[in-house]
Amino acid sequence: MAETSLSSGQIESDGDPAPRRGLAALFYRNETLRGYTLMSPTLVILTIGIIIPLAILVVMSFWTRDGFGFDTTMTTANYERIWTEPIFGALLQRSFWISGVATVATVVLCYPMAYYVAFHVHRNKILWIILMTLPFWTSYLLRVFAWKVILGYEGVINSGFMAIGWIEAPLEFLLYSQTAVIITLAHAWAAFAILPLYVSLEKIDKSLLEAATDLGDGPMARFFRITLPLSMPGVIAATFLIFIPTTGDYITPALLGGPDGKMIGNFIQIQFGAVNNWPMGATLSIMLMLWIAAIALVFLFVTRKVQEKIA
Amino acid sequence: MDVLDQLGAVREGKLSRRKFTKGLLAAGVGMATMPAATKRAMAADGEATYFTWGGYDIPELFVPYQEKHGVLPNFSIFGGSEEALTKMRGGFVVDVSHPCNAGLTRWIQSGLFQPIDTSRLSNWADVMPALVDLPGNQTDGGVWLAPFDWGQTSVTYRTDLFEVEGEESWDMLWDQRYAGRLGSLASGGDAWWCGAIKAGVDFDDLDTDEAFEKIAAVMREQRPLIRTYTDDTTTLEQALASGEMVAAMTWNSSATLLQAEGVPVAFAKPKEGALTWVCGLMIHKDAPNIDRAYDVIDSLLSVESGKFMISDYGYGHSNAKSFDQFDEATLASLGLSKNPIEILQAGHFQRPMSQEWETRMNELFEQIKAGF
Repeated sequence: MAETSLSSGQIESDGDPAPRRGLAALFYRNETLRGYTLMSPTLVILTIGIIIPLAILVVMSFWTRDGFGFDTTMTTANYERIWTEPIFGALLQRSFWISGVATVATVVLCYPMAYYVAFHVHRNKILWIILMTLPFWTSYLLRVFAWKVILGYEGVINSGFMAIGWIEAPLEFLLYSQTAVIITLAHAWAAFAILPLYVSLEKIDKSLLEAATDLGDGPMARFFRITLPLSMPGVIAATFLIFIPTTGDYITPALLGGPDGKMIGNFIQIQFGAVNNWPMGATLSIMLMLWIAAIALVFLFVTRKVQEKIA
Repeated sequence: MDVLDQLGAVREGKLSRRKFTKGLLAAGVGMATMPAATKRAMAADGEATYFTWGGYDIPELFVPYQEKHGVLPNFSIFGGSEEALTKMRGGFVVDVSHPCNAGLTRWIQSGLFQPIDTSRLSNWADVMPALVDLPGNQTDGGVWLAPFDWGQTSVTYRTDLFEVEGEESWDMLWDQRYAGRLGSLASGGDAWWCGAIKAGVDFDDLDTDEAFEKIAAVMREQRPLIRTYTDDTTTLEQALASGEMVAAMTWNSSATLLQAEGVPVAFAKPKEGALTWVCGLMIHKDAPNIDRAYDVIDSLLSVESGKFMISDYGYGHSNAKSFDQFDEATLASLGLSKNPIEILQAGHFQRPMSQEWETRMNELFEQIKAGF
């Protein structure tokens, strides 16, 4: 593909107005080819960055560890281990639980914000959006550490509550717990919920709401019959954008999770580190991917059914 | 024009939204490229890279190096030596790294390192021979590992918050009264060995299935009591300072640093014996800056560095002359002596283990930490 674009470039630079021949002619006549050429930088990156590593991961997941190297005979031993040893299932379950709660919390908390900007702000909307996403201008790691400071034993919340006199001793469940991980994830990924929610709410035709009011719907009925169903694409997008990456997150649980807050991402990381079992790590990654895909499909199916029912 | 001005201009309609977005874009590009520029300035070409534990990346240990080259070497940090070895096996090339005696044989066997030509080290004559004489360390071309620091892994506890029953002991980290207020190092390279001492397993028998069962049992017993496992000693130190934790498994340095801050802590001398170790420096076989690698080692072995290690971190140093700067009483209060072997043998001295053992141990310990 690179060659075709090069040769066409040369012909053009020659300034030859004569009908194009060969590859160049094909290039100009064939729209599909032109499309692929336009996409080629993306396709190259996609192949190098996603498809090849994924293929390596799949192949490696059928290998086994052999000392510090790999035994490259194909076997499903790793998958059997995941099936038989309870630790993997439990960690997966915990990851889905933590990330599921964080996703629901984020979407529920961000919906009113996006709603407000979409319906009640009429000037400088972009400024509002920028202000809401302002915390995301700092690095993810810094935000996680900031939460460590807020939730810590001598942190903002504990010292604040103690100063007011609400509590006698610092609340210990705030840090090094699943709660800490959920709170941090819900905040750290908020921007990924606000933006799609805002876009889908903004697109709703206001005359539909007026019509609903004219026909006797109260504010609640109007919201559930018009606004919510029409903003569902945004809700679904936000849910996926948060649920998929947070399930595999490992920095937040590593720093804030404590012994009970460790997630599958931490275990995958350890396989590639101290435990030094790369094939097992690959298998775990693939299982995680398959599970997420399955959950996503179920979620899509359910929301579609619900939507049909409402409509 | 500063940001507030721009916002004002947008509000007054003087600045079009597009122009404002352009301004934002410019600011974003500026911010994104700034760190790249500074990073390049810092990571000067031809500087040695020192791959080490957290806490050794400080100028105090590189006074001679800085005098000679005007800059610090580059640092890369690891949390456990097994993690470091895995990373280097994966292709990470450094100049100097910092393993301990328990890993020495495995590090040599990995074939990733070259012997150190001791004639190129100006401080070598003062290095205590007892520390160099580790099993398998001598080779034709010199030594594999230049010993640098030695010390103990034990319990640092708050003297005002932790009530010691009877003698100081490893039982302190298994004390039900302080459930949720105890801390531990996350790396099996320390924690598992301490578990062995607690379980009463002789280091000669570490490799047996029975030892694995016994140690796993005590580690499982300990897990619900632990607030967090971490490889970051600062986290443990801060938690001890605030009273979030009352006792934690640490190295000498945490206790010494906290005492210097005026926090009432003590570094326990457990009746079962502390875990003792020697760490040192190895040169990567493909070290890109070999001359500077020797300068890094020489700098770490210098008396200046030794003095800092002893007074500020409470670790033993390998340079005999470093100890001349202190009187016996000071050394004794730090749990050190001019005769390192005495101290090392008084505790449970770590020993080299096979790769199979190391992998099995790490795998099991990670599962226990995750609650299984």
